[in-house]
Amino acid sequence: MSIELTQSQVMLHQMVVDFTDKEVKPLDRLIDKERNYPAELWDKMIDNGFLGLTIPEEYGGAGFDVIASSQTIYDFAVRNASMAFTLEGHYKSVDQVLNYATDELKEKYLPQANHRIFGFSSTEPQGGSNVMGHTAKAVKEDDKWILNGNKTMITNGGLAQVYCVLLKTSPTELSCFLVDEDMPGFKHGKREKFIGMNGTPVGEIFMENIVVSEDHLLGKIGQGVEIGDNAHYDARISMGAIAAGITEHALTIAVDYAKQREVKGAPITQLYSIQEKITEIAIAKENTQLLYQEAARLKVAGKSYAKVATMAKSYGSRASYAAADHALQVLGGYGYSQEYPVEHLIRDARALQLAEGSLEKMMIEIAKEVIDEREESI
Amino acid sequence: MSLKIVVCIKQVPVSNNLKIDPITKNLIRSGESGVMNPYDKNAIEAALRLKDEWGGEVILLSMGPADFEMTLRQGMAMGCDDAILLSSRKFGGADTLATGYVLAQAIKKLGKVDLVLLGRQSVDADTSQVGPIVSEFLGWPQITFVSELTGHAKKGMTATRLLENMQQKIEFQLPAVVTVRSEMNEPRYPTPRNIQQSYKKNIRIWDENSLSVDPNRIGLKGSPTVVRSVWAPIKEAKHTIYLKGTPDEAVRELLIQMRASNLL
Amino acid sequence: MTDQEIWVYAEKHVGMIQPVTYQLITKAKEIANDKKVVVILFEATDKNLEEKIKEFGPNEIVVVKDDRLKDATDSEIASLMAELADRRKPNSILFGATVVGRSIAPRLQAKLNTGLTSDCLNLAFDDDLLIQTKPSYGDNIMCEIVCPKHRPQMASVRPNTFEAKKDLNQSVIVTKINDLFFKKAERIKIIEETPLLSKSDSIANADRVIALGRGAADEKAVRLAEELARKLGAKIGVTRPLTDHPKFSGDDQIGQSGNTIAPKLLVNLGVHGAVQYTTGIGSAELVVSIDKDPEAPIFNYSNYSYVGDSVSFLESFLKVIQ
Repeated sequence: MSIELTQSQVMLHQMVVDFTDKEVKPLDRLIDKERNYPAELWDKMIDNGFLGLTIPEEYGGAGFDVIASSQTIYDFAVRNASMAFTLEGHYKSVDQVLNYATDELKEKYLPQANHRIFGFSSTEPQGGSNVMGHTAKAVKEDDKWILNGNKTMITNGGLAQVYCVLLKTSPTELSCFLVDEDMPGFKHGKREKFIGMNGTPVGEIFMENIVVSEDHLLGKIGQGVEIGDNAHYDARISMGAIAAGITEHALTIAVDYAKQREVKGAPITQLYSIQEKITEIAIAKENTQLLYQEAARLKVAGKSYAKVATMAKSYGSRASYAAADHALQVLGGYGYSQEYPVEHLIRDARALQLAEGSLEKMMIEIAKEVIDEREESI
Repeated sequence: MSLKIVVCIKQVPVSNNLKIDPITKNLIRSGESGVMNPYDKNAIEAALRLKDEWGGEVILLSMGPADFEMTLRQGMAMGCDDAILLSSRKFGGADTLATGYVLAQAIKKLGKVDLVLLGRQSVDADTSQVGPIVSEFLGWPQITFVSELTGHAKKGMTATRLLENMQQKIEFQLPAVVTVRSEMNEPRYPTPRNIQQSYKKNIRIWDENSLSVDPNRIGLKGSPTVVRSVWAPIKEAKHTIYLKGTPDEAVRELLIQMRASNLL
Repeated sequence: MTDQEIWVYAEKHVGMIQPVTYQLITKAKEIANDKKVVVILFEATDKNLEEKIKEFGPNEIVVVKDDRLKDATDSEIASLMAELADRRKPNSILFGATVVGRSIAPRLQAKLNTGLTSDCLNLAFDDDLLIQTKPSYGDNIMCEIVCPKHRPQMASVRPNTFEAKKDLNQSVIVTKINDLFFKKAERIKIIEETPLLSKSDSIANADRVIALGRGAADEKAVRLAEELARKLGAKIGVTRPLTDHPKFSGDDQIGQSGNTIAPKLLVNLGVHGAVQYTTGIGSAELVVSIDKDPEAPIFNYSNYSYVGDSVSFLESFLKVIQ
């Protein structure tokens, strides 16, 4: 661990390690196989206050910062990546409520966020990242908003009970609304059949003439793109933490196996071909961790963190995929077996090049920032 | 009737995988701060369940250096009300006898304590001595290695004590000292919110001046035992003995060995 | 200094002297030099456990007979020991590092204001000084501990560390003491004692484990193993291939991707001994393995090995322990 944690963060870290070792680690492969979390596990997650990790204490949460929450996501991801992915989806949504909701809405929804899962929704069936091509919309009637349309590819879609939804309030304007599954006109749709991150449901929601009061608008009219970007940047820190967690998981499996596997009476850790792969995995883990921790540190310090967060995600997503592949190779034929816990790491890691913006989008954004910041020195 | 419960806890190294410095022959202590002795979590859980049932307060007590604060805060994050750290240079170098003496004096100072709980032993020194020593200094009944604790705070309690190959049911009245096995319960986690709030609570620090103690019975002076040397043991590979003959003959030979090892 | 005494506390469970007591007598005799080995026995008036103890040849057995000792508490025994120690000033007192020994000894230590070393793995004398070797930090470190200025020197010793040897040639003095002040413990009463076989549901904490591998996977082997497990109070564990058997799951698996176990007794049946398995059994105490393959690596991890068929072995085992 490179970043200096405060005493309470160290205690949190110990608690999360203890909790995930006992409650999550033994279920890693079951979650992958069953494509679901056992219900008792979610009860334990809620009872032990994980949903409220970042919610301020006055709203019944623990009020930990992003350094602590990304450490927590990492600690979960080392044992089960999709558990971490679901938490990430919740934290980034709660953060937007915290930053943009009116005091009344915060009073109402933040205490609930300690025990109800939140999700963030922007993608539509017709258009990918080009939000301006969206059709789902909000129309103002008197002091109410009427919401209509479909959203898809929502992390925690179906599991979450409250959603931050980006909707068109004019042909050129996106705004963000808070929608509750209990509202008349709200329906959950089907779940995507993904190849990995099998615990986390990704699904769709339908809104048909949902009527909400004015204070369900987050921020101002037209602030949707900004809120969406913020959610993305926060998510990219977490994505780096998940990538580092998967890489650490791959490292543990590879090293444990290599120490015990013998060829001609000596463990295969003595072979250069094995050492090389283990080294690659270890470097990838360290690099990814340094990147997401630096992004978290910058955010806590109130500095610009978007570029480093994007690097954490783009670097980490590829490095974790490669690390899982190296680990598979170390285990040889066993690694390719569904009875060994490596193959699902590859499938899990692959999601990170797509979720919260594609790898290509990340590269373009980093390139733009890097080129822009150097213009003046020419 | 509300209970005043004291739980004595200890901070132990994160890992038991310690190394010896080949030159100084001393233990190499890692820079990492310690963790709560695992059995102490069971003792805290037992205390909190009794408090949930009967009301009252749970006070944590630990003797050690200032960095034991973290373990006390962790206990408070599990739900304990108060924490006292017995910390002083004069307490340093204490063996179990001097430790038990100071803990007992602190419990006497607290006054009107109904129940003292401890983990069955610490996982570093593995002595399991402190509980009985505290009981003796307090002059209270001791019930050690307990796996089940039920009953009425006022009318008396019942404990199940697990021994190697039998169990005892023991009835007792408070005040008493109970040491707790891990079989008794599943300790709760300190929740993130309670962790934050534990850092807002005050930990009282008591030294030899806060307590009525005989200066000859504390710290190094009050410790009869002396550690002369430490070393790393050499682990020997198993040397197998082949059982011969028919299965019947082999089983008979095996049973002789099992009886000798008290396994039958 | 021939009047110096090494005491051994005689521990009994449900009317039986525990093997550790005999082990301690033998060890004490070995290291005593010119000191006397004295066994302290507390028993009810209808018992004569001193006769069994005599076979191991201590110099003396001090017997306190009293019906109140039937289910005496730790503090009552500690008080009686303290009174005896005040009279005879022993050089040292040894206990088994059992639950009882580890509960009475420290209580007595506090009464006598002296040192105690728990769970020793070796004892020796350097003149009058008892050199106590004790593991620490989960057996990763060994410590040599002495108690230079206080007497008696007290130690508890891990059971089965030393071997008990009968010595019928020693003339044993039996001294009966009936004038001790019996300080009745207040507010505490042992109301029931029951024998215990298996005390834990989890295979990781089980004291006895029967492990089944590919070589003992058929219905008959499983059924016989279950019967033996019931008789021995053991839990059944399996290797990875057997987790697919309808009776077992990943919870029952021993090894790298399953449970690490530390039983006192482990019987491996038809387990070949792949590294993925043997990493989970490093802390098992007595390991017995039965496999058809004389080259099976499991034998390198076993105290006792038998090359043969698991089902026949199980049948014999069940027949012999009837």
